[in-house]
Amino acid sequence: MDQQLLAKTFVELADSLVADFDLIDFLRLLTDRCVGMLDASAAGVLLADQDGKLRVMAASDEQVRLLELFQLQNDEGPCLECFHTGAPVIVHDLTREIDRWPRFVTAAHRSGFGAVQALPMRLRDHTVGALNLFRAAPGPFDPPATLIAQALADVATISLLQQRTAHRSTMLNEQLQTALNSRVLIEQAKGKLAERQGIDMEQAFSALRGYARSHNRRLADVARAFVDDSEPLAGLCV
Amino acid sequence: MEPDSRSARIQVLVAEHAARRGVRVGVADVCSAAVATLPVGGAGLSAMSRTAPNHPLCSTDDISEQLEELQLTLGEGPCVDAFLHGAAVLTPDLLTRDLQDRWTVFTEAALAAGARAVFALPLQLGAITPGVLNLYAHLPVRLNADELADALAFADLATLVLLDTRITETGYPRGGSVEDLGANRAEVDQASGILTVQLGVGIEEAFVRLRAHAYARGRRLAEVAADVVARRLRFSPDAEPDQAEEET
Repeated sequence: MDQQLLAKTFVELADSLVADFDLIDFLRLLTDRCVGMLDASAAGVLLADQDGKLRVMAASDEQVRLLELFQLQNDEGPCLECFHTGAPVIVHDLTREIDRWPRFVTAAHRSGFGAVQALPMRLRDHTVGALNLFRAAPGPFDPPATLIAQALADVATISLLQQRTAHRSTMLNEQLQTALNSRVLIEQAKGKLAERQGIDMEQAFSALRGYARSHNRRLADVARAFVDDSEPLAGLCV
Repeated sequence: MEPDSRSARIQVLVAEHAARRGVRVGVADVCSAAVATLPVGGAGLSAMSRTAPNHPLCSTDDISEQLEELQLTLGEGPCVDAFLHGAAVLTPDLLTRDLQDRWTVFTEAALAAGARAVFALPLQLGAITPGVLNLYAHLPVRLNADELADALAFADLATLVLLDTRITETGYPRGGSVEDLGANRAEVDQASGILTVQLGVGIEEAFVRLRAHAYARGRRLAEVAADVVARRLRFSPDAEPDQAEEET
């Protein structure tokens, strides 16, 4: 692993945590760095709602096929297992697990993935979600990379607490709820922008993020204003 | 939906309340089931909007009714804050100085009406924010993690029930049950966004039309949403979704 990249990533993530904090943007950055640094092909952060259903909070690619692969794990797959046991689930060769998770393995294979890791996001004695890493090629994961992935999962968990709600809420449930609702906003905005501009979901996400960054606003606020038509948002749409 | 999940359990409870009244599930049943499940004395629900006047929809007792009307009239209180901030407002005891400062008139009036604890849970699906579920208790009470999760699940169900009442009779779910959003949330939310453009309507109307389409065809919401996102299905403002395109 590239030591310099590792150091740079931690500096970057720490900076984002103390600066004007935007949860969605931060988690996307984290998934991007998992891909860049940890020899992963795709990464996602999944959070459990109050129903115990895993929902995607961030992904290294916003295309629907990857989101589906994460969501599919509400029925079966490494994330579900990781979430239930609170322990990492590491699969070197997915083809060997076809009996264990027939639907998941088939879908992962179709998307071009051969190996997968799910690392628990733990907060005190709760598991609140999982960091899910996919790799195209089967084969063992580098043990130090797994340790770093777990550290990144822990950073993702901490970032959830960084999100301040209006009433200094101390209840974890509510904070998760607010976080999940921001993600719903992003999806609604992606759909609207993609349809209006004739672009794909990843391009729509990038455009929203770019607008939020250049105007120093939270991504979820920009998404809401766009979906509600409550502001002109000049420059977001051509 | 897992049969033992929280949302499934709560949906059954609410359906039982509706069955007892001999009607199809409405927001009143969500309120009465919430009162039967949580350590609260009453519940009420208000329709809220940034652009239209707010109004109370139902309440389980006189105190709840008073609390709903007070807040909508005064424009202050937990219900108003929950709506504006899109986050639950939990007030285990109204007799705290801080709150008396925040909601000067409401706090006094609510205490006089007989409420001591009030909880307001926003109904929301992203930018869709049709109302707030309000709960109160006669005595100070703190909801534990499990009770709060139940309360949030009641609010989620109330959101779907409330939005489904906007679907016309003919398009209403067969068997009268409310379909939850299932695991494929991303597609449902993206499809709602796509429909705002195809139909030229707001996000709430877009979501309602998506569900109405699924109900009318007896299809699962997630499947219809996936078709919209994959561009296999297009909606148009003055017609039923394009059949020709739907079949290609």
